[in-house]
Amino acid sequence: MKRVLLILAGLLAAAVIGAVVVYVAFTGPGEIPPASRDLSSLSEGDREQMVQAGAYVARTGDCVACHESPDGLSLAGGTPMETPFGTIYGSNITPSRDHGIAGYSADDLYRVMVYGIAPGGKHLYPAMPYTSYHAISRADNDALWVWLMAQNPVDRPNRPAELAFPFNLRPLLAFWNLIYRPEPPELPDPGAGATDPAAPMARGRYLVEVLGHCSECHTPRNLAYARKTDEHLQGTVIEDALAPDITPAGLARRGWTTDDLEHFLANGLSPQGVMTFRMFPVLSHSTKYMTSEDIAAVAAYLTDGAPPPSPPDPRPDAIAQNPEGHRLYLGLCAGCHGSDGAGQPFGSVPLASNTSAMFDNPINLVRVIREGIPARHLAGYQRMQEMPAFADRLNDDEMAALVNYLRQRWGGHDATLAVSAVADTPG
Amino acid sequence: MTERMLTVRMQINGKQTQPMDLPEDLMLLEYLQEYLNLTGTRYGCGQGVCRACAVIHDAADGPRVVPACITGVAWANGRSFRTVEGHATRDDQGAVTQLSAIQQAFLDHFSFQCSYCTPGFVAAATTLVERLQTAPVARDDVEDVVLEALNENICRCTGYVRYLQATRDVILNTPGLTTDEVATRDTAS
Repeated sequence: MKRVLLILAGLLAAAVIGAVVVYVAFTGPGEIPPASRDLSSLSEGDREQMVQAGAYVARTGDCVACHESPDGLSLAGGTPMETPFGTIYGSNITPSRDHGIAGYSADDLYRVMVYGIAPGGKHLYPAMPYTSYHAISRADNDALWVWLMAQNPVDRPNRPAELAFPFNLRPLLAFWNLIYRPEPPELPDPGAGATDPAAPMARGRYLVEVLGHCSECHTPRNLAYARKTDEHLQGTVIEDALAPDITPAGLARRGWTTDDLEHFLANGLSPQGVMTFRMFPVLSHSTKYMTSEDIAAVAAYLTDGAPPPSPPDPRPDAIAQNPEGHRLYLGLCAGCHGSDGAGQPFGSVPLASNTSAMFDNPINLVRVIREGIPARHLAGYQRMQEMPAFADRLNDDEMAALVNYLRQRWGGHDATLAVSAVADTPG
Repeated sequence: MTERMLTVRMQINGKQTQPMDLPEDLMLLEYLQEYLNLTGTRYGCGQGVCRACAVIHDAADGPRVVPACITGVAWANGRSFRTVEGHATRDDQGAVTQLSAIQQAFLDHFSFQCSYCTPGFVAAATTLVERLQTAPVARDDVEDVVLEALNENICRCTGYVRYLQATRDVILNTPGLTTDEVATRDTAS
């Protein structure tokens, strides 16, 4: 017995030593390329130019969506992100000496953006999308650094992550990185963008896959919470909302054209619907500030090689098939959305072409009906009226009848969801 | 496509209406105004936002305010509602003999100017008073619940403060609406 214990203890010690060796030897940051220019001796004009360029990088990277404070300070940190392992809070990335990133060099920022390792060797959780940002160009990183350092410091402490054991042990992330963190490309390609309209595809790829980090929400994750590379952009439920399939084929199935997508990204709405849940902050902090060339590049990349749009045909026979759903639709929805689902400009979205009813998963549809949507300014003159919450006016049977009616009439669905399936929808 | 019709009957201000065949997508507000000649309920934004069209729905679990402009007769059918015409006490000929406490308070406080929003405010304030009859609140909380109940109603003649004061007065001076009655009633005037 004693001998068995000794062997076990020996094996454990060997495993620990092995892990330490791997940790020290293989899990640090990789190579850091030289700065894009000498950042220590910028002229006033050059600095100003870099601040502007960096502000745009921050917009396209949507830093604010996660680093905003709950009371609206754009980079002071505190936005909660719910994960299956607990809650992580966006950190203070203002140049505060005690609580922010005043001590960061441009190299430090690159190490964080690309390798997920902060000064002092602290590992970031991959909620910070360094596995997407890993291909950021050094020039964009440097502009972002100049811009960050030009912001007002906010002396506000970071809120620690609230994660369950063992996910609260940050050093373990080194091993996660070993498996799931991609190496940065030798020559990151930020695309030519506005300067080379003939080649928007590289720019679109860079904006979607790197700065915009779209796949962080739109790609399903495995048990280790790493993105499944073979289901890239195929859609998943995150924070109790479906981030839909945005592959070219997936978009085409729901009727998206490249023009629709451009309009959606720039203005927050299109015939397919309005930016809701976590996409509304994406609009407000990021896409509505993007240049029309960049918007076009993103839309072109996302719809590259897509088949012709083939949205489901409306099915008027749903009226006879589901009279209770039809009655509820006319009584509670048609006043704004119209009896034919046409919607009203600046008030309510059309439902006849809305994608929420098309998804297999009813979560977004159920949540919007239950919770409503606040009145919102989208972009420019575009706005949408408040949608009331109907949770207190629909019992489970009625909610299911209405959800099924919408899915059958405009969503291309034949099957009827069970009452329990609708009632058990989280959110 | 011929217009789809629906046979509609509901209780309005305590009386059953005659069954009527109506277009199935007719809104409650049009039914009140065009078919029942109850024109006190107002059409404002047409999107359920301004609450000029608010009426009281007497549901099984108590009264609540619904926007008549976006609520269809398809849902209202068979239910019970009160409009601004239904709050006052009337004699046999239908003439008003006494306004409701909320209506009187709105007059006493000069709560409105043009009156377009008033039917909606009457509905919201009356609903609050009736809710407090079954679930009274502490006197210190009255200010908050009044604001919450009336906050969505839009007035364009700046009458908000007087609407709020009038409603608060009715609540503070009606026994049973607050949990900690005081011996000497402190009117807010």
